[in-house]
This record gives sequence, structure tokens and C-alpha cells, in this order.
Amino acid sequence: MSTPQPSFTLELTDAGHLTLIDAHGGRHEKAKPVRLFPLTSPASWICIVGPQGQELACVENLETLPGAVQTKLLEALADREFVPVIRSIQSVIRAANGHAWTVTTDRGETVFETESDESIQQLGGPRLVVIDSRGTRYLIPDVNALDAKSRQRLERYY
Amino acid sequence: MIRKDRTDFSPSLISHADAQLVNSERVLARFQTDLDADLHFHQGVIVLTSQRILHVESVKGGAMQMKSWKIAEVEEVILEEYGATAALHLIQSKGGAYHWRITGGRVREADALLAKFKAQRKVVMALTPEDPPTKIDESYVDGAEKEEVAAPSKAMVRLWKFVRPWRKQMALATLLTMASTGASMIWPGLTMPLLDKVLIPLYAGETNVDRSLVYYYIGALAGAAILAWALNWAKTYILARVSERVASQLRQQTFNHIQELSLTYFNKKRTGDLISRISSDTDEICYFISVNLIGFADDVLMILFTAAILFSINPVMAICALAPLPIVAWLVQRVRELLRGGFAAGSRAWSQMTSVLADTIPGVRVVKAFAQERREVERFRAADQQVLDANDRVNKTWSFFEPMIALLSDTGLLVVWGVGAWSVAHHHITVGILTGFIAYISRFYGRLDSMSRMLAAVQRAAASAHRVFDVLDVKPDMPATLATKSVGRLSGEIEFRNVKFRYGSRQIMRGVSLKIAPGEMIGLVGPSGAGKTTLVNLACRFFEVSEGAILVDGMDLRELNVEDYRRNLGLVLQEPYLFYGTIMENIAYGKQGATREEIIAAARAARAHEFIMRLQDGYDSMVGERGQQLSGGERQRISIARALLVNPAILILDEATSSVDTETEREIQAALENLITGRTTIAIAHRLGTLRRANRLVVMDDGQISEIGSHEELLKSSGTYARLHQAMMEVTNG
Repeated sequence: MSTPQPSFTLELTDAGHLTLIDAHGGRHEKAKPVRLFPLTSPASWICIVGPQGQELACVENLETLPGAVQTKLLEALADREFVPVIRSIQSVIRAANGHAWTVTTDRGETVFETESDESIQQLGGPRLVVIDSRGTRYLIPDVNALDAKSRQRLERYY
Repeated sequence: MIRKDRTDFSPSLISHADAQLVNSERVLARFQTDLDADLHFHQGVIVLTSQRILHVESVKGGAMQMKSWKIAEVEEVILEEYGATAALHLIQSKGGAYHWRITGGRVREADALLAKFKAQRKVVMALTPEDPPTKIDESYVDGAEKEEVAAPSKAMVRLWKFVRPWRKQMALATLLTMASTGASMIWPGLTMPLLDKVLIPLYAGETNVDRSLVYYYIGALAGAAILAWALNWAKTYILARVSERVASQLRQQTFNHIQELSLTYFNKKRTGDLISRISSDTDEICYFISVNLIGFADDVLMILFTAAILFSINPVMAICALAPLPIVAWLVQRVRELLRGGFAAGSRAWSQMTSVLADTIPGVRVVKAFAQERREVERFRAADQQVLDANDRVNKTWSFFEPMIALLSDTGLLVVWGVGAWSVAHHHITVGILTGFIAYISRFYGRLDSMSRMLAAVQRAAASAHRVFDVLDVKPDMPATLATKSVGRLSGEIEFRNVKFRYGSRQIMRGVSLKIAPGEMIGLVGPSGAGKTTLVNLACRFFEVSEGAILVDGMDLRELNVEDYRRNLGLVLQEPYLFYGTIMENIAYGKQGATREEIIAAARAARAHEFIMRLQDGYDSMVGERGQQLSGGERQRISIARALLVNPAILILDEATSSVDTETEREIQAALENLITGRTTIAIAHRLGTLRRANRLVVMDDGQISEIGSHEELLKSSGTYARLHQAMMEVTNG
């Protein structure tokens, strides 16, 4: 079972939709990029799927794509995804229904709530993901890289 | 214990039977009969020798009665089952018969005896001049001794094996304990001269007192306290470390061990019970080692030391002070008996409670669907009540015992005060000596008190150790250690050769013979309870065949290394089980270290790729214990991807599509098409349409194969298959 060859080009519409033009010149509109391993290996394995979720193309390594296509793909991805990376934790306090977190992320400071202990998932090694009650994923790529205070606050919950 | 009784031969029967043997006779097998003709319990033993069958039983008055038959004169021995009991009929060639009755649990052993008899009869009838070297099955003859269950006190001795690797640390901890105890012994020793040489003379107004001695003694007291503190610190730290490691070792060994046990064991055991044995019982042991083990030895030493010191100070007072000791010893003995039972009951009740949890939490959907929450609450309450009762029982004994010890110690102290006061008044001893004495005796009784407390801990730990060793003592009923051949990739030829299987006293497989070519797909059909799943379980070697053999690539399955063999197996079950983890981890379960590319390829082939892409976290999505977030069909496709990834030579599909709707079934069917090509496949299905691709259909009925053929052939022969097909058509059409 071989991965389809990445011989396609992309167009980016104003609405942020991708149009994929395959090797035979067929146009597939309203396509969207999907990361297969958004948490453990976001940079590799990106698929482009049609509006019904059917697979149009799949790329293991973005580097194999022509520069222009690569840029468009990354742009489309950046437009769609939202996984803030937690840089430091100001506080975790017991709230009415779970815990309330105050954190600084790569996208700024924020406050969110988690529901249970299972909201913190270990993804192999020091990599953690925190899922808040609304389903937003916050990534901690390396627990040990957090400052000591943040780590202490986190330690109580996972 | 029950197991032991069942296989234990009465020694007097054995010795009597052995006494009857002639020189050239060798014992081939022994079998214990346990019922008489009226089905009352009655012990007897059948001995199969190279020449005869003997039966020895005790008759009224304790005498032994022996009957014997020459093998050459015995036509056959037949085993007949009557539900819970069975009969062995011995038919003589010249007419006449003899009958034994046995309980159903012995049927398996009886089977073994019969097999040996048949073999021996062939030998005898062939009139070989010399006895051929029929191998005595040691495991059978010695079975009774091997299954002996360790007594609770032995459990503690066995625990030492787990502590042994840390004996150096334990020795160090013992030294530290003794040193810190020694340091604490300095106290009363120093108060005596402090009182006699300094304080009392000062109080009496004497002027030639060396006041610097006060600083000296108080400084020494402080030094002793600090020394005791430091030593205690080190000791506690070391012991805590060692005990954690011992407990961890116990947990791991127990878990490793249960992983080696066959499905039969798990079928019999309750999940909650096993969980509590591995988690809470090992924890008890950990606590015991860290807090009590060395403390106990220390206390014994301390008590001896203190007694010696007391005697050296003043023998008369020492005797008075120790007067209540025999009563304490007697009490301890009594209470020990009571506690032992109490703690065992407590542990059992605890595991009962865990069982309710382990039962109800995974089954929560059924509970809710049938609106049985109240009933489950009640069930838990009842289990919890048992824990409460068991603990109450222990506490009742305990609450009486502890204050009793305290009262006795106080009595001892009172005696010392009384005798001491009199002695001081009559100038036999000084006030300092009395104070020192009181200090020592309080320590003595304090130690006694802590020793009595430990009594509970020892009993509790013994009960727990016993429960853990109970699990460790279960022998895997598949002798995995028996000289096994390791195999690599198999071609996938499977042959069932007159396979019989018995579960308990139920005969499930009644002689199945079937040869499956490499790459062939076999569809197994038949009514529920026909033995389809059992056949598949036997092929997976989850169970061991009772008779006959299963050959894979021409090799007996029993001779193969189980792990090697199972690496060639792919299994897709009706209820796919997903472990707690990501989808990627679940697909890669059978092949550690599979690349992302392989995983994606497997998911594509299993038609799982597209729905996985739709999930927010893609392949990184967490799936719960039972994969709640996914539909049945999706879970099934993940389990198919899992089977695909290991690229098995033999594929087993046990009702892989029967729990999903037809639309999903089509998807799964397409996934299966990819899976079965080039592999030997055994598929069980109720929906006969699922088996369209099968090369041959095998119809099973009541533990036997009733028909074999293609769909068309079987329809023409209008047998069981035609009937099943008809019934199914009626259901789908009507």
C-alpha cells in the first residue's frame, strides 16, 4: 500500500478554502488539510480531504512538495488550527466542576476550565495535552521545559 | 484446600495397594474413586499396574479390601457420565462387570487413566515377553504434592524470598534500629545519677555539689535524643525504600504470573478479586515491612535488654514488675487466633467489594438500560456491609485487647510504685533508682504494647501474603516450559486430528477432524453452543485439547512456543477491545515500533483511515477503555487494522461483523477482503452471507462436524446448513 504521490497543486480562495488540482487536471474545491498526528507529530503526515471527508492527497514530508504548494498548505493549516502551546502556568485552582487554569501560551494569556483528571493526557514521554471543557487542545511539548513553579502546579493533577 | 483434598490420596490406601504388588509389577497410574454405589462419599484407589488393575477401599471396621483384575482378562473399561457424577465400568472378557462411581470433577483424570489402560492393554495383548518401558506420568502421580497450598505462617517465610535481595539494607536498618533503641536507653540511665548525685543533694541543701554536673547530664540527654533522632531518620528512610521495592516486586511478579495463565483461569476468577490481590494486598505487605518487621525484632530485643537491666538494678522489684507478663502472653496467644480469621475475612470482603465495582462500572450501560441502579447500590451496600462487619469483628477483639494490655502494664507500674515507695521509705533504694526503674519499666510495657499492636499487623500481612501467594501458586495449565520449538513465519496449514475437549465435566468437542490448507478460508457455521468458538479458541491455544491433536504446518501445537505461534495469529472478535490510549497505539498494539506509514497503510486497508481523519485529533485521538467515542463499526475497523498490521499467517474472525448494521458490515466486509487474501482464515458467522468468500463451509453441531462443502453443495444436501439458510432467509424476508 503506497502513499499517493504528491503531484498536485493548490489554490487558496479568499474564504480560506483550498482547491486541489490533481495530476490529471481535475479540480477539487473546498478541500481542507488535516494533520494525521496533530499532537505527537504535527509536522509530518498531512492529508488533504474533500468536502465529504474523502482523501485527495497525503504527504508524509512537506519538504517533498514544491515551495509554492508547501506555503499554501501551511497557510491553510495555520488558518484552521488552534492548538495553543502552554509556556507557563500561573495557577490551577479547584473550580465548581473541575479545575480553572490560568496560563500563558504562545498565543497570549488565557483562562480555561477542565473537567476531570482525564483532561490531561500523556502522549508518550514528556509531551502532554490538556483538553478544556470546550474541547480546545493546549499542548505542553515538554513538561520538563516548564519553569519549576508551573511544573509544581501541574504535578498535582497528572 | 479444597483442591488439595480432591487430588490427595489417602496414604493408608496407597501403602496397602503398594503392598499388594508383585515384584515385576510397576505402577502406571493411580486414580482415586470418591463415591460408593449409593453415591455416598467413600474413598478408594484404583491402581493401574503393568499387569493388573487393583482397587483398594476401606470397609467397615477399618479393614482394607482389595480386588484385582488381570489386564488380559479385562475386555474394556468404559466411562459413563451422569451429569454431576460419572461411572467407570470394568467389563471382563469372560463376562461379569464391576462398577465404580466418581464425582464429575474427576472425569478428566479418569480419562487419563482410561487412556493409559488402553495403551497397556495393547501391550499386554501383544504378549510382548518383556514389559515395554511405558513411561510413568510423573506429573499425574505426583499431582497431589505439587498442588499443596502453603499455610499462612509459611506465607511469611516465603515473603522473605522477596526481601532477600535487599538483605544488606535490611541488616543496616536493623543495626540502625538497635542503635537508636540503645540511644533511647541512655535516658533513664542518665536520670538516675542526675537525681541521686545532683538534684536530691541540692534539694536537701548540701553545698559540696558539683553544679557543672547538671550541664553535663542535660547535655548528654540532649545528645542522646539527637542521636536517636538521626538514627531513626536513617532507619525509616531505608525501610520505606526497601518495603516499596518489595511490594513493587510482588505486584510485578503477580501480574507477570497472571499474564502467563490461560483463559480458563480468567474465566473462573473475578476481575475485582485479582485487582485487589495485586493492589491492596501487596500494599498491606509493604506497610508491614516498612513499619513492623524490624520493629518486631527490635521490640523483642528491647524487652530482653530492659528485663536484664531491671534485674541488675533490683531483682525483687523486677520480679514484682514483670508479674503480669504471663497473663499478657496468654492473652496474645488467644487474640492471635481470633485476629487471623478476622483479617482473612476482611481481605475477602474487600475483594468482594472490588468485584462489585469491577463488575458494575464496565457494565454501567446494562445497569442503566434496565434501570437497576438501585439494585447495584444495594449490591454495593451489601458488599460494603461485609467489609464493615469483618472490620467490626476485628475491632471488637482489638478494642478489648489494647486497653487490656494497657491495664496490665499499669498494674505492673503500680506494683513498682508500691514496692518502690516502701523500699525508698526503708532506705533500700534511692529516689533516683526508683525513677530510673519506673522509666525503664514504662519503656518495657510500652514495647509490649507496641508488640501487641504488631500482632495485628503480622496477622494482617500474613493474610495478605497468603492471598498473593495463592495467585503465584497457580500453575499455568499449559506447560509452556515443556521443550518447545520456536517457529518463525508459518505457512498456515492447520489440521485438527480427532480433537476432543472437555470443560469441567462437560464434553464440548466430541472428536473434530479437519484439514485446512494454507491460504484457505473456512467458514464455521452452526447453531449457538455447537462449539464453534471453542474450536477457534483451541486453534489459538487459549485452551488445551483434552484428546487428539492440532497440527500447524505439520507440527503439534503443544510442542510450539506459544508466543511464537501467536505471532502468526490475527484475531478479530465480535466485541473489539480497545485499550486506553491513542488510535495509533491501538493499531500498533500487536507490533511495537510500527512506523506511522505502516499504521496508516493498515488503517487504509481496514477502511478506518477516513473516519480517523475526521476526528479532531486524528490518529492521536484517545479512545477509552471500551472506546466509547467510536461507533461499533469504527471500533471493529480499528481492530481489523490491528490484525492487518501484524500480517498474520492465520486469521481468525469470530463473528467479526455480527454486531453492526448492514451498511457498516459492507464497509467491514470490504476491509476483511483485504485482510483475508493470502492467509488461512477461519471465520465464524451467523450471517451466512459474510462467508461468501469461504472456500469451504464447515457446519458444526453438538461438538462435531456435521457437514462440509460449498454453499451450493450444502444447500443441495438439505442438511443442517440448508435449514439454517432457510431460517435466515425467512428472517430477512419476513
